[in-house]
Amino acid sequence: MFTHRIDLAGAAVFVAVMALLPMLLDNSYLTGVLTVAIIYAIWAVSWDFMSGLTGRENFGHALFIGAGAYTAGFMNTVWGISGWWAIPSAMVVASLFALVVGFPTLRLKGPYFALAMLSASAIMERLMLIFWEYTGGEEGINGIEPLIFSQLGFYYFALAVLVVCTAVLVLLARSNWGLILRAIRGDEATCQAAGLNVTWYKIASLVISAAIAGAGGAMYAQYQLQVSPQVFTVVLSITVITMVYVGGMSSIWGPVGGAILLVMLTELLRDFGEWRLLIYSVTLILILFYLPQGLVAPTWNRLKARLGGSA
Amino acid sequence: MSTILEVSHLSKRFGGLVAVNDVSFSLRPGEVVGILGPNGAGKTTLYNLLTGFIPADQGSVTFLGQSIVGMAPHRIVRLGMSRTFQLCRPFVGMTVIENVKVGGLAQPAPPQGREAHARELIEQVGLGGKEDMPVEQMSYGDQRRLEIARALATAPKLLLLDEPFAGLGSGEIAELSALIRRIHQETGLTVLLIEHKLREFMKLVERVIALDFGELIADDTPDRIVTHPRVIDAYIGTDAPDVEVA
Amino acid sequence: MVEILIQGAVSSAIYAMLAVGFTLIFGVARILNLAHGSFYALGAYGTYVLTTLGLPLVPAALVSIAFVALFGVVMERVLVRPMRRKSLLAVLMITLAVALAIEQVLFLTFGSEYRNVPSMVTAKYELFGVGIAGQRLFTVISAIVLIGALWLFIQHTRLGSAILAISQDPDAAQYMGIPSDRIFALVMAMSAALAAAAGILAGPFLTVQPTMWLLPIIKAFAIVVVGGLGSIPGSILAALMLGYAETIVAYTISSGWTEIISVLATLLMLIFRPAGMFGKRAAF
Repeated sequence: MFTHRIDLAGAAVFVAVMALLPMLLDNSYLTGVLTVAIIYAIWAVSWDFMSGLTGRENFGHALFIGAGAYTAGFMNTVWGISGWWAIPSAMVVASLFALVVGFPTLRLKGPYFALAMLSASAIMERLMLIFWEYTGGEEGINGIEPLIFSQLGFYYFALAVLVVCTAVLVLLARSNWGLILRAIRGDEATCQAAGLNVTWYKIASLVISAAIAGAGGAMYAQYQLQVSPQVFTVVLSITVITMVYVGGMSSIWGPVGGAILLVMLTELLRDFGEWRLLIYSVTLILILFYLPQGLVAPTWNRLKARLGGSA
Repeated sequence: MSTILEVSHLSKRFGGLVAVNDVSFSLRPGEVVGILGPNGAGKTTLYNLLTGFIPADQGSVTFLGQSIVGMAPHRIVRLGMSRTFQLCRPFVGMTVIENVKVGGLAQPAPPQGREAHARELIEQVGLGGKEDMPVEQMSYGDQRRLEIARALATAPKLLLLDEPFAGLGSGEIAELSALIRRIHQETGLTVLLIEHKLREFMKLVERVIALDFGELIADDTPDRIVTHPRVIDAYIGTDAPDVEVA
Repeated sequence: MVEILIQGAVSSAIYAMLAVGFTLIFGVARILNLAHGSFYALGAYGTYVLTTLGLPLVPAALVSIAFVALFGVVMERVLVRPMRRKSLLAVLMITLAVALAIEQVLFLTFGSEYRNVPSMVTAKYELFGVGIAGQRLFTVISAIVLIGALWLFIQHTRLGSAILAISQDPDAAQYMGIPSDRIFALVMAMSAALAAAAGILAGPFLTVQPTMWLLPIIKAFAIVVVGGLGSIPGSILAALMLGYAETIVAYTISSGWTEIISVLATLLMLIFRPAGMFGKRAAF
């Protein structure tokens, strides 16, 4: 049970704070950091919707992110199409990738889906390097035109996208769709026995997850104004998963907090630059052992219990 | 229609082992039929074949006039055949009412709404008051009732129960048995029942199908089936049965 | 043509060593070890470090292999075992995190430039009129010897039978008093040692850099999908198929397309025959 109004109030406060922060900070660099945090949050939320709810963990979310980013990059530099088409196109392309990988693997029991996603993203990274004449190789695609010229403008655009996506996914998660996904996590065979086409739901939620991640990827490209094979790396996938773990698996909104916390942590560790990824992986190991329920969502739930008096 | 389910020459082998061997029988609407057989006789495999969880090697299954061999399990459920599992496997991480609601999601929403319908079913199986309990906290007997509520939520015309009394004490068995009888009387549901606890079993069923080593060895009323030589052989022969005989 | 035959054998040898170890630990302990590629990397780096410190090549290699085997055992005991109680995916997660952590440690210690692992055999030979580096020949022979030894061990020793028993039915094996935990440690050590050996053999002619763990894992996954998860003969056969397919593509089309082979093979297998050639049923 959740106390609807407290949650809405909390969300409103969060959005208000995020909206005011750039103006209060009045620092272009920090606004940039916040923008990146928001895009990471979009990726984390999309991962949680599929993997957090169904328990079928996706180790290659970067596949969708990269698909979206490169789509945006190609559309802008190679075909000169306006940036506003990039996001919907990125969503379509990412969805196609989801179907290609998801369809054969999600109907199987066992680790095939997780490993296939890992492999697919890693192979895409390699392919971007191998076919460097088309993709720009290590340097990738440069000189993408910004979608919105004002940094602050793009920030608010990103924030709006995050709010809309999170709201939609939370609503879906609380609906019958979410019930089914959680039931899939509970016991797939019993789900089948209930007359539900389990495979279809898994694939559909993967496609939704992919589309949103792809949109985030496109936005990332439009923010960085360049795309490199980094967007396909395992490191990116693991970072997103860590953010979800910190935020609270299956809460959908928790990963937003997880993303912001981890990006802030990265900033604080700026001086440790090269050690960042090591710290991430060790953090993940520690979380898996000691905090598998996460930090953000459980803390909020405990706070609510104290405030509202109801669990 | 005269038969709700017709099984004809159904066979399944796993490598060298023949699990179900040329089994044929039929069910009339509203019947309560029991399946009897020692462990390993192929009863659960038969259920898995009927519900589409595993593919048959040979034979046909006609349900409500439709051939369902090769159909995906979820589609068979939508046609009206539901099953429970021998080992209760509820949706962990969810509450009782959520479990039952999921059971009904593949069906169109009932007139009173899914939530109300779920509550009715929960009452019906005797779990009233426990709607918001997480299933991990439930006793085994309650999990069984939940399993039945979940199966009923699919609005079945034929219900396949797989050892519903397993792991229950005699009081719980009597209650569950009364529940099954009541549901059958109220809805006219056709019920197929696998069970080892013969005392209750014989009181519930109108007809018994006996299996041994995957073969159908007898198909008769409860009184007469215990006189079949092959049934006696299977149960009282050299292999000691783990049943409690009436 | 002969070149393809030989090069294919070399690739297959490396892949077979990687895949057999990967599938072995899965078949026995149901652990999908994503840090398997890290063993490969650590074997190479370990040898590099020891030879740079002055140790002769062969002892350096042996010490390296021993170290990696030990590391594998410790990793399994300390990090993986607690996760096994949770779920298979928790195991995947932790091994992935470990793999990344190791990559970063290697990166921080050695930087990202390619390092050099010396060849075991520096002579060049001629086989059927084609020049072949002795190292490559040695690789093929070593693979055959090592995998052959493993196979004989499993088939003909008591410990080997215990391993087979556990992989077929872990519960029954435990009832019979077979100490699964110790067997897991043994199998992990063998699996890690094979991977490390592959890294040492391949080091001289493949790149040694911190991210070298990822591609072996992907290839290993492709191979075990095609060969069947848990089947050693399947892995060997599939390794041969992949090794030769890649070599043929590299020689006839271009080396860029080789990656696509494993992707295609995996995808097609998963669609049409998920259990692989020799594996147990994987379908729902």
